[in-house]
Amino acid sequence: MPVDQRRINGPEVSVPYHIYSDFDEKSDKVKHDFSKRSDKRTNSEMRKIFLKIGIVSQAKGSAYIEMGNTKVVCSVFDPRELSNKNGYCTQGEIYCEFKFAPFSCQKRKIHQQNAEEKQYSLILQRTLEPAVCLHEFPNFQVDVYVMVLDNAGSSLAAAIMAASTALANAGVPMFGLVTASTIGIYGNHYLMDPTDTEEAICNTQPDKEDDFNHGIITLASLPQHNQISEVFLIGSIDTNTIKQATEMLTAANKDICPVLQQCLVKTIMKLHNEKK
Amino acid sequence: MAETVLSSGEKIFILHGIDADFRNDGRRRCEYRSMEIETKLMPQTHGSARLHIGNTDILVGIKVELDVPHADKPNEGKLEFFVDCSATATPAFEGKGGDDLATEISNVLTAAYQTRNAFDLKTLCILPHKKCWKIYVDVLILQCGGNLFDAVGIAVKAALNSTEIPKITAATLDGGEPDIELSDDSYDCIQLDTSNYPIIITLCKIGDNYIVDPTLEEEMCSTSSIVMSMLPNGKISSVVKLGYGSIQFNTFTKMLQMGEIIGLRLNKTLMDVLKEENQFGRQRRIFGFLK
Amino acid sequence: MIEAENIEDQNGLRPDGRRALELRQIRVKMGVFGQADGSAYIEQGNTKILVTVYGPHQPRGSTGRNTSNISKGIVNCQYSMAVFSLSSGERKRKPRGDRKSQERSLQLKHAMEAIIHLEIYPRSQIDIYVEALQVDGSEYCASVNGATLALIDAGIPIKNYAIGCTVTLINNPSLEDEDNTLEKGVLDANYVEECTPGVTLSVVALPNNDSTSKDGLIVVAQGAGQRLHLSQFESLKARVLYGCQDIRSILDHAVREYLTEQSLPSLFHVALN
Repeated sequence: MPVDQRRINGPEVSVPYHIYSDFDEKSDKVKHDFSKRSDKRTNSEMRKIFLKIGIVSQAKGSAYIEMGNTKVVCSVFDPRELSNKNGYCTQGEIYCEFKFAPFSCQKRKIHQQNAEEKQYSLILQRTLEPAVCLHEFPNFQVDVYVMVLDNAGSSLAAAIMAASTALANAGVPMFGLVTASTIGIYGNHYLMDPTDTEEAICNTQPDKEDDFNHGIITLASLPQHNQISEVFLIGSIDTNTIKQATEMLTAANKDICPVLQQCLVKTIMKLHNEKK
Repeated sequence: MAETVLSSGEKIFILHGIDADFRNDGRRRCEYRSMEIETKLMPQTHGSARLHIGNTDILVGIKVELDVPHADKPNEGKLEFFVDCSATATPAFEGKGGDDLATEISNVLTAAYQTRNAFDLKTLCILPHKKCWKIYVDVLILQCGGNLFDAVGIAVKAALNSTEIPKITAATLDGGEPDIELSDDSYDCIQLDTSNYPIIITLCKIGDNYIVDPTLEEEMCSTSSIVMSMLPNGKISSVVKLGYGSIQFNTFTKMLQMGEIIGLRLNKTLMDVLKEENQFGRQRRIFGFLK
Repeated sequence: MIEAENIEDQNGLRPDGRRALELRQIRVKMGVFGQADGSAYIEQGNTKILVTVYGPHQPRGSTGRNTSNISKGIVNCQYSMAVFSLSSGERKRKPRGDRKSQERSLQLKHAMEAIIHLEIYPRSQIDIYVEALQVDGSEYCASVNGATLALIDAGIPIKNYAIGCTVTLINNPSLEDEDNTLEKGVLDANYVEECTPGVTLSVVALPNNDSTSKDGLIVVAQGAGQRLHLSQFESLKARVLYGCQDIRSILDHAVREYLTEQSLPSLFHVALN
């Protein structure tokens, strides 16, 4: 990795202080109890969504989404022609960049994309490609930049929804909106829209339990067409649980779709009323 | 990936063949091509494997080093994957051309092995907070003939199976500093327990059906594919969807189920073959690339 | 760095039991990969190299935009080492892109430009990719040998075999005068012998066809290690050309055997003795 000349990073051997505090809570031997969640939600309840469009004035389209404490902003820029393409492509391209802001997670992230962020960028691209009419802008590339300002769980799902709304706001021709949600699985508990502590717990397995389902599933779908656009699963789960979880997620995605639609309609109405 | 250019007539031909459950090379939708595996062919590494499926050729080398554990995970060792797409596969991989594909494969591998069910990092710990083993899994992709993820998954599992970590006879804290003694006999080593390591299966959706082990031409006809990594105890440790198309929910569930059945069968065959190879012992003649 | 204590053994034998002018065992396989236009795998002792050739095809990328050489073809080489290839135990961080690999790519390009008839491929590019799987001394020369074989497998006409061989002069002052065959340089050193204080000369030559004359054209020569005095250069040169001649006959035999296997029985069936 090239040396970053413009920034002064902390000393290389520094570690965050969190690892030395609350040591007992982080122990894997404890099996966590999820009969009630810390923010008083039920297991199948999603956090409230706040969505605002057109917040970045320099971008063609932009969106800002808040799901609980998770805050994500996305901007979409005009299609630009690719200069080094040697050959005419009948389809356009989407280029996505996903980045956690350095202050967004518990452990500070560096300014360059690490492997996880590169993976999320690719996932974001694959999620948006089925929704966008790529044949409408052949030989052009649309740039989508997503930045997570505060990671409090299910940031990938929030990013997908922000990107899809921003694309719609930018006027990029689309087949439909993309909605996404996350579910955390821990034993027999299905936690919809987990917070970051719940995500961290779902990524671990308590000691001495071999046949234990744990993991996180992110599902993105096109609810208006009943299609799944992207699946991302990490953990150790058996197929029946996956089937049940994806059913719950598809239903949740369908429920979220009107939120995105109303937000877009409100923005158009406001512009229309201002013009009068 | 490679430079195959398919005409629309060829694509329709492949599509109709798959509808009729009869692919270009005569296989059915759920059949793999024949594979050749050889392990321990690189004597300078701690473990190695070479896998050959059709036109796909993968070489995996494992190196083991002593390292200091992470501060927030003092009881665990480290496992690092590195994938290199060599230019021998296609000229497009020259220089940094193959980096995108390499990152994707390495991410899939990391996701597959991150659960403790698959690989327990606590077995690699020597002295908590001070010393642990770090395993470098280096994958070299020599030829791309379709179905890279599956081939890499199998090769990595075979290589880890053949890995010999030197045995530590004494590990003490000498006044705060770790003091490690390795066994004098270079053949005295511990093997990893690979019984629950994941197998990666790619299911490629072409038209209305899905196939396993696609060739390069078949991959170009598909709109989307699911890459899932299955643990032999029936659990799935990671699922990713590739490709620019979307799938229906029912298709997704059916693909997962088919992947599970095939994965279990593939894993059993692989472990049987590796056990058979082990029985030859140290007198086995190593062919490497000469055959 | 490996400390070499007794490189000079009794009876003029090296630590691995070879004499001064003896080469390591060479094993060759051509046509390893079906997808590449030409490929070859060569083992010289423990050094294992895989070479593939793609071409001739239309120039791509940055080399293609340079239109000054319309009359001749372009040779593009890349030398890459596998991350686990080092015999000495450490793991290499990056397979290619470091200075040594780039320098070797350039030297390989020079060597190949000497043997390929570039005038018959105007506006075309030939790619040669070398992947070093295990490295135990004289890897550059093994890659030149492998590249020659891969070009033959690809069916690209070449002027002559380009054969690489190393000769190492070991500066051990405690050597007795009686047995000084080793003092004039040893052929085909492995990694341990290359690490000893001394100079290693890698030479790529186009050996003459007849086995009587021990001359040949030297195409590339590079040295590594300490300084070499000019008085010792001639004897080293003679030794290395002798080594190149030997390697040539081995590779020639391997090529003829491979082509005979592949071809149908015909008038061109070559007797293998």
